[in-house]
Amino acid sequence: MRLENKVAVITGGAQGIGRAIALGMAREGARVVVADLQYEKARSVADEVKMLGSDALAIGVNVAEEGSVQHLAEATFADFRRIDILVNDAGVYLKSLVVDMSEADWDRTLDINLGGNFLCCRAFVPAMRAQKSGRIISMASGIGHYGMKQFSHYAASKAAIIGFIKSLARELGPDGITANAICPGSANTAMPRGHRSEEEVMQRLHSTPLPHVLEPEDIAGSVVFLASDAAAYITGQSYNINCGTYMF
Amino acid sequence: MGQVALITGGGGGIGGAVAHRLAAAGMTVAIADYDRAAADQVRDEILGARGKADAYSLDVTQALEVKAVVTEIHSRHGRIDVLANIAGGSIYTKRVEEFTWAEWKQVIDSNLKGTFLMCREVARVMQKQKSGRILNTASNYGVTGAALRAPYAAAKAGIITFSKSLALELAPDGILVNVVSPGPTDTPRVMEKESPEARRERWYPAIPLGRTGQPGDLAEMYYFLATPESAAITGQTFHVNGGVVMP
Repeated sequence: MRLENKVAVITGGAQGIGRAIALGMAREGARVVVADLQYEKARSVADEVKMLGSDALAIGVNVAEEGSVQHLAEATFADFRRIDILVNDAGVYLKSLVVDMSEADWDRTLDINLGGNFLCCRAFVPAMRAQKSGRIISMASGIGHYGMKQFSHYAASKAAIIGFIKSLARELGPDGITANAICPGSANTAMPRGHRSEEEVMQRLHSTPLPHVLEPEDIAGSVVFLASDAAAYITGQSYNINCGTYMF
Repeated sequence: MGQVALITGGGGGIGGAVAHRLAAAGMTVAIADYDRAAADQVRDEILGARGKADAYSLDVTQALEVKAVVTEIHSRHGRIDVLANIAGGSIYTKRVEEFTWAEWKQVIDSNLKGTFLMCREVARVMQKQKSGRILNTASNYGVTGAALRAPYAAAKAGIITFSKSLALELAPDGILVNVVSPGPTDTPRVMEKESPEARRERWYPAIPLGRTGQPGDLAEMYYFLATPESAAITGQTFHVNGGVVMP
């Protein structure tokens, strides 16, 4: 097993890609903290992790609130005493043209998607530095590279995550900590279904160059790889996983 | 049936490490190298570790040789699941205006044309199988450019975009094409040109992770891109470089 006894914190771990990452890491032997705004769902993913034979802890967290993230860190250290892997997956995906966009929607998107990265990294990095090891993996998006109408705040937040991760990689490299981003394409999750009809979602999923529907498990595989010893020399990168939709 | 991997430049350095990694995962590895003795040695090491391997002499710039070797491997094993194009490199460090046409062509052909010839031949096999993984090799210089290495940087940039085009062409057949892009890596070929001290002085300050790469670091990336975990990834470039370049 590639992540035996590692402690992994996964924000946004209650569903979709985050849930697949939690289960993927558990299968490799990691102890998993499932952190999510939706506590009940987080608990049910933690139960799934336990059924795989691994330890799990569910924590309700708002990644855009300092106190809440502090509580996440304290609860993690109280139960598991350390952190090896931080996966920043919590995010929101709101829809609006720039000309119609409320300041509240802008703030919410940037605070959660980008600010959540900052607050969670700030909370867990000191422990990683002290132990001279750690892996940070953040979910960016292909949209962060090519932009998308009606999702400018989301695109800006995801592009910013890439810049943030590169800077973090430079800051933390000397401490043996790597920081990387994953840029998924449109995946078969609940998120795109919030704004598109089932027909539109399926059409997008099936219109990729590669005849393969992008599932959360496809993303989880790369996250597990980046968290493993095999990826020790990889930092500051943003890897696209999108069935060939976009090649950067 | 076990998977079959063809590795060019498999006689040492990164290619040798990839051959060992894929063999350790249970694949049969066909090691092709310009230096037949080097290919034989890697084959013998793998056989000694109870792996499955055979060795071939191959100049990837020669279309007839490429065709003959690919045909032989295909007829011997019945399939080719993974093609890792690692043959390449450059022995020159000099200004553009000093390059002769022959030198220029040698660097472009051994890196870019060799990749094309190998992909063309093996893609025909993979299209019949309706499956396959092609792993090409670029370099951080293919993104940043490099003074005194213009044809090498150009060839590597060419490999990245060639691979994207090939990925689009082969996607309908379920064949994935990706690029691994090493940074400064401690291969025997570069280590014999530079002392470890000089190398450390030149590179370490520029690399966030504070060390140069090892062939084994790269081999893990090639292996990952040959596994079912990477089934949704095509046309992408994977930099394994300690953070020296973050495109």
